Amino acid sequence: MTSRRTTPLWTPSRRTLLQLGGIGAAGGLAAACSGPSVGGGGGAGEEEGDAIDWASIEPATEITWWSNHPGNTKELEESYIAAFNEEYPDIKINHVTAGANYDEIAQRFQAASGTDDLPDLVIASDVWWFRYFVNGQIMAIDDVFAHLEVDTDDYVETLYSDYEYEGKHYAAPYARSTPLFYYNKDIWTAAGLPDRGPETWAELQEWAPALQAQVPADGQALGLGIGPSWAGWWFSNVIWGLGGNMSEEWTVTLDTEEALTAGAFVRDMYNGETAFAGLGSDTNADFQAGIFACLIGSTGSLKGHLDAAPFELGTAFLPNGPVDVPNVPTGGTGLAIPSTRTPEQQLAAAMFLKFLTETDNTALFSQSTGYMPVRTSAVEGDIMAAVYSETPQFRTSVDQLQQKTRVQDWVRVFTPGGDQIITDGIEELVLAGANPEDVFPDVTSKLDVAFEDNVEPYL
Amino acid sequence: MTASTATPATLAPTHPHEAQRRAARRRKRLRNLGFFALLAGPNIALLLIFVYRPLLLSFYYSMLQWNMGSSVARFIGFENYVRWFTDPDTPQVMGTTAIFAVTTVGGSLVLGLGLALLLNKKLFGRGIARTVAFAPYVLSGIAVGMLWLYIFDPRYGLLSTLLEAVGLSSPQWYTTSPWALIMIIIVYLWKHVGYVALIYLAGLQGVPQDLHDAAALDGAGKTRTFASIVLPLLGPVTFFLLITTILSSLQSFDLIKAMTDGGPLGSTTTLMYQIYVEGFQTGRAGFASAAATILFVILLVITAIQLKFMERKVHYA
Repeated sequence: MTSRRTTPLWTPSRRTLLQLGGIGAAGGLAAACSGPSVGGGGGAGEEEGDAIDWASIEPATEITWWSNHPGNTKELEESYIAAFNEEYPDIKINHVTAGANYDEIAQRFQAASGTDDLPDLVIASDVWWFRYFVNGQIMAIDDVFAHLEVDTDDYVETLYSDYEYEGKHYAAPYARSTPLFYYNKDIWTAAGLPDRGPETWAELQEWAPALQAQVPADGQALGLGIGPSWAGWWFSNVIWGLGGNMSEEWTVTLDTEEALTAGAFVRDMYNGETAFAGLGSDTNADFQAGIFACLIGSTGSLKGHLDAAPFELGTAFLPNGPVDVPNVPTGGTGLAIPSTRTPEQQLAAAMFLKFLTETDNTALFSQSTGYMPVRTSAVEGDIMAAVYSETPQFRTSVDQLQQKTRVQDWVRVFTPGGDQIITDGIEELVLAGANPEDVFPDVTSKLDVAFEDNVEPYL
Repeated sequence: MTASTATPATLAPTHPHEAQRRAARRRKRLRNLGFFALLAGPNIALLLIFVYRPLLLSFYYSMLQWNMGSSVARFIGFENYVRWFTDPDTPQVMGTTAIFAVTTVGGSLVLGLGLALLLNKKLFGRGIARTVAFAPYVLSGIAVGMLWLYIFDPRYGLLSTLLEAVGLSSPQWYTTSPWALIMIIIVYLWKHVGYVALIYLAGLQGVPQDLHDAAALDGAGKTRTFASIVLPLLGPVTFFLLITTILSSLQSFDLIKAMTDGGPLGSTTTLMYQIYVEGFQTGRAGFASAAATILFVILLVITAIQLKFMERKVHYA
């Protein structure tokens, strides 16, 4: 009998495994070369290639639209797609819910950069579009809009110029809004106040004790939340009304007397014996429940308040400060076209973008949500006229848009993370009762670093 | 002992079968290597692609000044690390991370063991109780966070109503500094205690009954039996849980995102959350990668310390 010697399976030694690990590491390092190109040009400063002859391009048969359906407009947006397809049945539009808000969409869009998982049309909010531009992620729409004969002169000038940099536009206005002053007319009457909003912040302060007497013990005269994409927005109104601003182009100006006064005013709105503003987990719901007598909220919430408030709703311009200047920031979102899509996809996306912002469609969007009509022809058109007649509160927001708005300070909307840095500073004023003299230098320093790191090298 | 007198010529293969045997051995080794590659290759490939490659990429990105989303970047060496270590926010972030880790790990081990002891008793409905206790662990962190936000709401929440019933007012959970972190810790514990309890329960059921019997014969009470027999025998389970819960705690993200977004005043911003904020909100991908590398090193060191020093004290049955 012969015994058969069995050879054990190959068992790698520790050294062999280390060698394999080394190969893996080398592979990883090689893979590292596939990240961003280091030291080269690119981003917003990259030279654009030859201009596309849009007349020679056929639109793509399928495009993707990333939206967060601002103002709960998923069904409305789907109806737009259906209407567009009646006119262009060969262009299929994939309607993707890509986030619950502007920030989530932006984060997803940035994370998808460099992959094929990109949309052809994307939400680009006031604080995000410039970062897309700086990163070279979106295209200028001027040429393709000229080819499509989009009447850009009819866009509300402030809203379209919000997306302009060095003579080119990088988005078109879509769900645009401003902050608006809402008030509870029942409480106003009970407090013996005239049926109007306060002309100035000082007047609101004067009215506050009377209003405070009409709300529950845990309520406040004014509901005014804080948080990203919000606190820095309404703070613009306060600081502009005092004759200051957050920046002159890229230079942060939070060290001026006006800025410090604005910071102290905000601190005292929430802290101390004369405080008249309060926070809540959902200030809109709290206002509707009578916890707050008045509220500063987005015009995008107008329809929601009209539908849900069990009292008569009043609307007014934002309060003025001592200086008579336009003091209402515009905001909300536009729609942008990614630069890395094919010309065919870009053309189809631009066609749909043109359709979305046509007079009747923007009027319908405004009617359904409270967002601004983005075309002058829509502001004074039949649809909006009927809306103003039925619900005059809509007229207030449109009048404010035309009379009081101004382009936002660059440092908030153009500096990546600028809005978040300013929000953090305002949180310190509001929640910790900190002094602006202590807070603003740190905010300034962070804004400067963000500019030097994330903007300057790319321009 | 004989001295070797072999010459090079005598060492040369002379037997005609020697070469064949060597060739056969070589073929067998190759076959085995192929077999090894077939079995282990896919796993190794997955590890390399989805674990080591991102790890190395992250380290590489940490040396760049790079906007998230941009196709270009600038090499700046270790400057992001210098910035992180000199950032005025770093002490607060690390303090919050440490408090969160210590309380959630300690809390989940203590509460989990207590729950396991309870579930180990022969009680009516024990099976259902075990399922219910474990259920929160499998729920989505975001969903859990949203649900608890309603419960903690100082104005309308269930907790506020209960506190009012006993004459207490609700803390401002969302907007005041210590309460926001306490809120997150409570919810984290609620979500994770079931997991710890389940693992401990398996450990408790592995303690031999004859040891209990012997302890009883020796006159040991329940406390003494638990301290001197059960707890030491649970050493390997505790050791395992300590490692997994620390890793889980330091990487916790979903509850913070859903409930506080790192606020108020950054009081719930842990190192993990800072990585998200810097990477995706501020857009400083290089700085975020540096913070991620630091988190990786911290996890590595903690795990190595645990393996080196604590495993010695573990009693394996």
